[in-house]
Amino acid sequence: MMNDRQDHITLTVKSFATFREVMDAKLTIDFPKGATIRTLLAELTGKYEGLGELMFAAPETLRDFVNILRNGRNIHFLAELDTPLDDGDVIALFPPVAGG
Amino acid sequence: MLSKEQKERYQRQISVFGEDGQEALGKARIVIAGAGGLGSAIALYCAAAGIGHIRLIDCDTVEVSNLNRQILYRTGDVGKEKVTAAATDLRSLNPGIEVEPVETKITAENVGSLLDGSDLVLDGLDNFPARYLLAHAAWNHKIPFIHGAVSGMYGQVTTIIPGVTPCLQCMVPFPPPSGAIPIIGATTGIIGSIQAAEAIKYLTRRGVLFTGRMLLWDGLRGDASVITIEHDPACHECGTE
Repeated sequence: MMNDRQDHITLTVKSFATFREVMDAKLTIDFPKGATIRTLLAELTGKYEGLGELMFAAPETLRDFVNILRNGRNIHFLAELDTPLDDGDVIALFPPVAGG
Repeated sequence: MLSKEQKERYQRQISVFGEDGQEALGKARIVIAGAGGLGSAIALYCAAAGIGHIRLIDCDTVEVSNLNRQILYRTGDVGKEKVTAAATDLRSLNPGIEVEPVETKITAENVGSLLDGSDLVLDGLDNFPARYLLAHAAWNHKIPFIHGAVSGMYGQVTTIIPGVTPCLQCMVPFPPPSGAIPIIGATTGIIGSIQAAEAIKYLTRRGVLFTGRMLLWDGLRGDASVITIEHDPACHECGTE
């Protein structure tokens, strides 16, 4: 769905598993055009205490196992934190589990 | 042709997928890698459903701390080889199937022979290095691989079809941290049961599989989500570039 304000984009963010222990499971969020995954994570880690520690090993360095999907595509295969965002994007944040 | 005993034993599921579906299960040969929490639920439901040949692989012995979730075993099994105890239990549940216990650790050297002759691989492993090894071999042998994993009250399932879906490395590019993972037994029951249902659907050619999609189960909040995951276009295994 296109945003009414041409200079802004609206994203849907969904979180899963342990990320839900520090943030909402689903939210919509607006950014100026030109926003990237880095912009989004800066906003989310500022908003939700503890999320930064869960997601980042060091500033600018995501923990390996943090999967961020933009419309189903892992940002590892796109432009990592520089992956651009568009109006209507759905971003999924999920830490896979390993036990059996 | 199903025997009278088989028609009676499988009566309630033949009404779901027909006698042809039951015959397909009876002819199938599957590998279940890992006889722990997930492997217990997978093996019990696959054996009960009449999957004809089950090769069960694990290298461990039963420990008391396994018993909160590994429902193939009883307290009296502590100290026994898992696959031996499991085979006894599965044959007792369904004497009409073949159970092949294989007590070994999965390695790069033996993984190919462990998959020999199998139609389907079910992932009941507890770590990603072994999963990547097994999933890679299954992909190369063109054998579907049903992935499951759990932590606490969370779980995930996806079905990988070589040449069709993304590979496991694309679905989960980096392994989560290893170590003693907390697990509620019922979570392995839920996820392992879904894996067994995927196997039955695949083998009887019924329904829609979790292909290119991952089920994310959140038992803590009573929520299930399905996310679509696409492959890395540059992946040497499943990419398109």
